[in-house]
Amino acid sequence: MATADPFDSALDLLRRLNPKHTAEHLSNIISIAPDLTEDLLSSVDQPLTVRRCKQTGRDYLLCDYNRDGDSYRSPWSNQFDPPLDEAGGLGGVGAGGSNEGAGEGAVPGERVRKMEVKANEAFDVYRDLYYEGGVSSVYLWNLDDGFAGVVLLKKASPQSDGASSGVWDSIHVFEASERGRTSNYRLTSTVILSLATKGASLGEVDLSGNMTRQVEQDLPVENDESHIANIGRLVEDMELKMRNLLQEVYFGKAKDVVGDLRSIGSLSEGQRERDTQRELIGSMRR
Amino acid sequence: MSSHKAILSSFVDGAPPGELADVFADIKSLTSSSPNLVNELGPAFQKYNEEQFATVKLPGSSQQVIISSHSALGGGRYYDVESSCSFTFDHTTQKASAVESHVVDGEKADLAKSTLKGLSTYVKEHFPNAAYGAYLTENDTKIAVIIVANKYSPSNFWNGRWRSLYIFDPASGSLEGFIKVDVHYYEDGNVRLLTNKTVAASVSSGTGAGLAREIAAGEKKYQEELNRSFTSLSEGAFKALRRQLPVTRQKIEWDKVASYRLGQDIGGGAARR
Repeated sequence: MATADPFDSALDLLRRLNPKHTAEHLSNIISIAPDLTEDLLSSVDQPLTVRRCKQTGRDYLLCDYNRDGDSYRSPWSNQFDPPLDEAGGLGGVGAGGSNEGAGEGAVPGERVRKMEVKANEAFDVYRDLYYEGGVSSVYLWNLDDGFAGVVLLKKASPQSDGASSGVWDSIHVFEASERGRTSNYRLTSTVILSLATKGASLGEVDLSGNMTRQVEQDLPVENDESHIANIGRLVEDMELKMRNLLQEVYFGKAKDVVGDLRSIGSLSEGQRERDTQRELIGSMRR
Repeated sequence: MSSHKAILSSFVDGAPPGELADVFADIKSLTSSSPNLVNELGPAFQKYNEEQFATVKLPGSSQQVIISSHSALGGGRYYDVESSCSFTFDHTTQKASAVESHVVDGEKADLAKSTLKGLSTYVKEHFPNAAYGAYLTENDTKIAVIIVANKYSPSNFWNGRWRSLYIFDPASGSLEGFIKVDVHYYEDGNVRLLTNKTVAASVSSGTGAGLAREIAAGEKKYQEELNRSFTSLSEGAFKALRRQLPVTRQKIEWDKVASYRLGQDIGGGAARR
């Protein structure tokens, strides 16, 4: 029997273990198989961390795409926190030198940074209209034939009754390949949704997980503004689709499976009713 | 090395219903450079099987019997009251062998047997696929009752388990235990429902039929409560996270998104931090 690729096995394991503790499982897998560290960190989505921008006082989200070493770039000020050591200290890593330990957090070129500023403004509106709170961040970077980026959204909701809570993290990674008057967009979206509730007669209920979906589309482009509008529509449609899907899986599928395990009604009565119905239909056919 | 063993044991411990073999295959693949590690996982498999109430068919029988600390005799052997036998259970392969006659008798054994009789009707009426058992526990002073129902549908990427455990103390009439539900859905994702309801009741009639009635009523009430919690989470916490559409009930006009910004600023909605 051929042995499975350890990277695939690591992803399979993360797809099976409790998704509420993905970060812990990830660091455990890495300590067992350190060779997989870089590949796993760049392909496994984890709940996002919030940081406040020192320059603007606004909150932003941290991920591998705005990370350089231990520093993260704020989309609002374009500054790294803590500031990058440009010159490279003694024994340190020079600016253009080895990027060992660095994230994907390259600073975009002038044109792409301009789009990034506009995209952050646009998705701040989106966040306000759909999430009525929470934090959003957009990071872009240059590609040879276009650009790529990530749209991040996070919202936590403690309920007023104190019994229920929820956290939503959206991670939309896209690539835009520019082909004259159209652009090809490839979007991979992950939503990490964690819900919990408890009560005296209910006990504890935890409903946590993540789902990933992909879409690819060619759309007309007139200028850089239309890129942002295109990405906006793609993300908006995807989130609507995923929200419906999450609702179906979290509240429909989970409840159905519980009903498949144990039937509230009597199974023999249900069977009798089905038999009676079948007889009735049979007699009507005659 | 001991920490690696602890990590691998935690992976076994976290295996979703019906997916232990898949998790074990992943573990073997991740540790292929030090294959001896997996041989140390015997205790982890035993813990998993006993806590998850693994079920096994005895050789030559179609009846499922349950693995648990309450049915353990030591030395890898377990017993079953209904079929009056004991057997050896291999925790890694989940196979039973070396079946021997094992008869329990006495007052408590009679109570366990009458509880089984009472449970049989209830379990048949409400679980399409479940195993149940009643055992003598805590030096034969108490009765342990276990129900475990599994439904695996890996081709549709979901698996589920319902398990309940009750310890009945005939001296005080107290019935304590838990109901736990574990559902895993993993098509292009990983979604898990984990519930835990502790049970603390007192049963005035200390008969097997009375016990079964109390358990049946409690589990019905719990499932109804759980179903209501799906609705309240959907209508409450979930809705509070993200709207289906903005208040305007219209999707965003992305070509005009810059003017939205202006409107937001005037409305003071921008600085919600």
